[in-house]
Amino acid sequence: MYALILRHETRGLTRTPAFAFILVLLAAAMTFGAWSAAQTLGREHRGAQAVVAAADKQRGKLARDVAGYERKIAASGGVYEVAAFNHGGGAIPAGTNAGTVGSTAVAPAILPQTGLSTFAVGQSDIQLSYIPVTSNSIITVTRDSELGNPVNLKRGAFDISFVVIFLLPIFILAISYDMLSSEKERGTLAMVLSHPISLRKLMLSKMLSRAAIILAVVLAAGFGSLLAVGSNLSSPDTWIRFGLWLSATLLYSMFWFGLAVLVNSISKNSSTNGVVLAGSWLVLVVVAPTLVSVLATTTYPAPSRFEFITQSRVVQTEVEKEYMKALDKYYYDHAEFAPKSGGEADFLATSLAKNDAVEKAMMPLYNKFRSQLAKQDEMVASFQFVSPAIMMQRTLNDVSGASAARYAHFIDQVIEFRGVWTKYFTSRFLAEKALRSADYRRFPKFEYREEPVSAVIGRTAPSLIGLFALMSVVLGAAFAALRRYQVASR
Amino acid sequence: MSDTTMAGAPVRRASMIRTIASKELKEIVRDGRFAWTAAIMAILLIAALVTGAERYAGYRLTQEASQAASNSQFYSQGDKNPHSGAHYGNYAFKAAGPLSLFDSGIEAYAGSFVFMEAHKQNLALSPPAGDLSAIARFGDLNGAMILQVLMPLLIIFLGFSTFAGERERGTLRQLLSMGVSKSDLLWGKALGVGAAVALVIVPCIVAGAVVIAFLKVTPSGDAFGARLALMSLAYIGYGLIFLFLTLAVSALASSPRTALIGMVGFWAFCVFLMPKAAGEISKVVHPSPSLGEFQTDMQMSRVKGLGGGPPPRARLEIYKQQLLKKYGVKTTAELPIYWVSTSMQKMEEMDHEIYSYYYNSLNDAYTAQRRVQDNLGVLAPVLPLSSISMGLSGADLLHQNTFTAAAEKQRRLMVETMNGYLSKMAVDFNANQALTGNVSMETNVLVASEAVFKLVPPFRYEPPSLAAVMHEYGKGFAILAAWLVGSIALAFFTVGRLRPQTR
Repeated sequence: MYALILRHETRGLTRTPAFAFILVLLAAAMTFGAWSAAQTLGREHRGAQAVVAAADKQRGKLARDVAGYERKIAASGGVYEVAAFNHGGGAIPAGTNAGTVGSTAVAPAILPQTGLSTFAVGQSDIQLSYIPVTSNSIITVTRDSELGNPVNLKRGAFDISFVVIFLLPIFILAISYDMLSSEKERGTLAMVLSHPISLRKLMLSKMLSRAAIILAVVLAAGFGSLLAVGSNLSSPDTWIRFGLWLSATLLYSMFWFGLAVLVNSISKNSSTNGVVLAGSWLVLVVVAPTLVSVLATTTYPAPSRFEFITQSRVVQTEVEKEYMKALDKYYYDHAEFAPKSGGEADFLATSLAKNDAVEKAMMPLYNKFRSQLAKQDEMVASFQFVSPAIMMQRTLNDVSGASAARYAHFIDQVIEFRGVWTKYFTSRFLAEKALRSADYRRFPKFEYREEPVSAVIGRTAPSLIGLFALMSVVLGAAFAALRRYQVASR
Repeated sequence: MSDTTMAGAPVRRASMIRTIASKELKEIVRDGRFAWTAAIMAILLIAALVTGAERYAGYRLTQEASQAASNSQFYSQGDKNPHSGAHYGNYAFKAAGPLSLFDSGIEAYAGSFVFMEAHKQNLALSPPAGDLSAIARFGDLNGAMILQVLMPLLIIFLGFSTFAGERERGTLRQLLSMGVSKSDLLWGKALGVGAAVALVIVPCIVAGAVVIAFLKVTPSGDAFGARLALMSLAYIGYGLIFLFLTLAVSALASSPRTALIGMVGFWAFCVFLMPKAAGEISKVVHPSPSLGEFQTDMQMSRVKGLGGGPPPRARLEIYKQQLLKKYGVKTTAELPIYWVSTSMQKMEEMDHEIYSYYYNSLNDAYTAQRRVQDNLGVLAPVLPLSSISMGLSGADLLHQNTFTAAAEKQRRLMVETMNGYLSKMAVDFNANQALTGNVSMETNVLVASEAVFKLVPPFRYEPPSLAAVMHEYGKGFAILAAWLVGSIALAFFTVGRLRPQTR
């Protein structure tokens, strides 16, 4: 009997043009989402490649000049000297000076994409995933953001995450808002229930047949986009992320089916169901997240970037007064005009000291940007349970590798690497040790250490548990309410 | 749609429309759904307006204070070489748009300050969204969002059963048998539903305005009243589009639930799907570079020359040879002009071409993308409306580009003034072998004091005039108007074919 109902429902659904239309729309939206996210990520990838290519080219030229100078010295038997800071074009190549190389040669720090990057663009259209590291202050090094049309950034990415969080519930509600009410309105409900099947079993089979078809389309489209973007399919990391995505999507979908059954089980007619469900969608997917966002960003507001700027200037001026004479100030900007002898070493040492002092003084405020962002995120984490859409967004950003936590993990490594890089060059520079061409192969290199996938599982666990709990509550309430459902009209 | 039944009786006709409208209004207001949808709308709209006003006031205060602080830092940076002064530079902070308390537009996603320094045109940095949790990407809470997203749904909720419901209950047959003309019926129903919507929205806007006035936030800007009027016109038009579409669909649909599901589907398509889809499509039609590509390409041109032209360094060498020849000397030190500052200014001017090319291409690509999105407004009226709303609020690309252009103009002025003064100082110094005015000499470097830095006027940003805004968004108004005409025509068409029963 049960299988019969299921088969009957499935056959009925697949022959409804509206249902077929919705399936086609869903598949098209998923495909478009994967495609457009791939475009966005491709553009970012090209940006990273451009930075890497420019850095390689620049470093290659420095190294070649140094190698040529080495050969020349070897042939002539002269003394291998260090070029003056930021001096180039003379007899001694600029690449011999560790200070010059450390502050002008770029070591790109790249945050790699994960196997599921196309599933959620997240904040990666704003946060830069390729940072050109130099020995300049960390504030300067991490200052830039990705370039994008602000209008498009405001509108947000059309990615799989958008389709799943925003559109999938609409599709689900569109095919299930009148699951029960329409049968009642057509008068077929009493007839169906005259067969040996309970109302709850009937509804369960109606719900499952719809869920199976919808989720098959979602799964196929998700899997297809995984193949299409050329993710690393041999890596277990990709599959674990895909598994998390699938679980979250399943729980989220079943929550919406449950909500539809719940509203059907307590409400009067199809129109009212439609209004209530559309209203619920609006509240859960749009209003609640917006309010939680306002709450988090006003409770832990980012410090003002304007004030950060003016404060940096105050510090810069104070430090300049303390460390530098007018002459040094001039040469600091235009080292090419600095005399090659005399107080130059002093000047360079003070300029390094100055940079250091400015950075030290600004670090507390710099760190506040990061800590406020972390606190906002913590607050969202504890308020996520008010809306399944928030839980979904967090999960999907995490599985795709676009989460705030992973980006913070990346920036931590950039800060650490910039320290290593600076130390490598400053120590040689202060010791007036000339760089040799062999040194160029030993420069520190940034290697991103990916966080273990267990960290991703750990972070998504609360959201997944929350989604599961919410789904269970709604489904439980729905099927409990069906017990009291009046099949015949009052 | 003939009015023959009411011929020669405009007064009776008006009273008929009024009767239908008041019946419709009463029915809607008495429905339990009206109370809670109205309450939610009211709370959100007032909250949005008040938080918007507070944010606007806070931003303005910080912006003005920061600009003043930065200017004074530039002026009192201490005695140094004028060119060093240009390196120290200054910041330009973007002023808030006059109506951005209502529509914050792109403010969270565009850099709001520019560092102006010698040799380098910088991008507007640090969009506030970079300092916000990813949840902010669900959208901002502001008046514009409420009216663009929630108002249409309110209209749909209040209007979807207008005709379909009467038909289902069987009262439509009764109504039509009384000899009401169908056009009167449509106008009456539209007036009734429209009045119910206005009953929710208008008091909220008035209440919001009162609170804003109480907060003493004084919005400013060119033709503030006219902006407000145009803004209202655009939103009323947008509301009417949804109103007439809902009525048309309600007349057409076989049942109220079909009307509802159809309109909710259209609403989701229009308000959520299309804006993002249009954004993605526009990026394919007019690609814009990533930061890495933009910066490396620009740097390449600075080294190698723009578009295969001679590299700036080579051009400078030619210029140097010309100068040497002109003055008949062999080295730059013998020139009667100061070569260091002259060459720096010459390099600066060659860079201008390169910067203008890249920054203009970037901004043009963004504007072209936005225009594609506006044109896609033929599929979703929210697209031109959101552009118009951002534009009139002063939180759009036009204002952003005007601001960054003003900052670049200021940067060039500052650098030119400083290099120019350096040249003058050097010539004076050589002529008199003595120091004049605000100049002192310290181990071979010319040093200027505050009075010299004050030769650079403070940064001033003149926002685009209302005429410029209307020039940019006139087409958007036309698209909205077309939608309005189309939806009214559709409503007349479907109501004209209204049958008391479904086949």
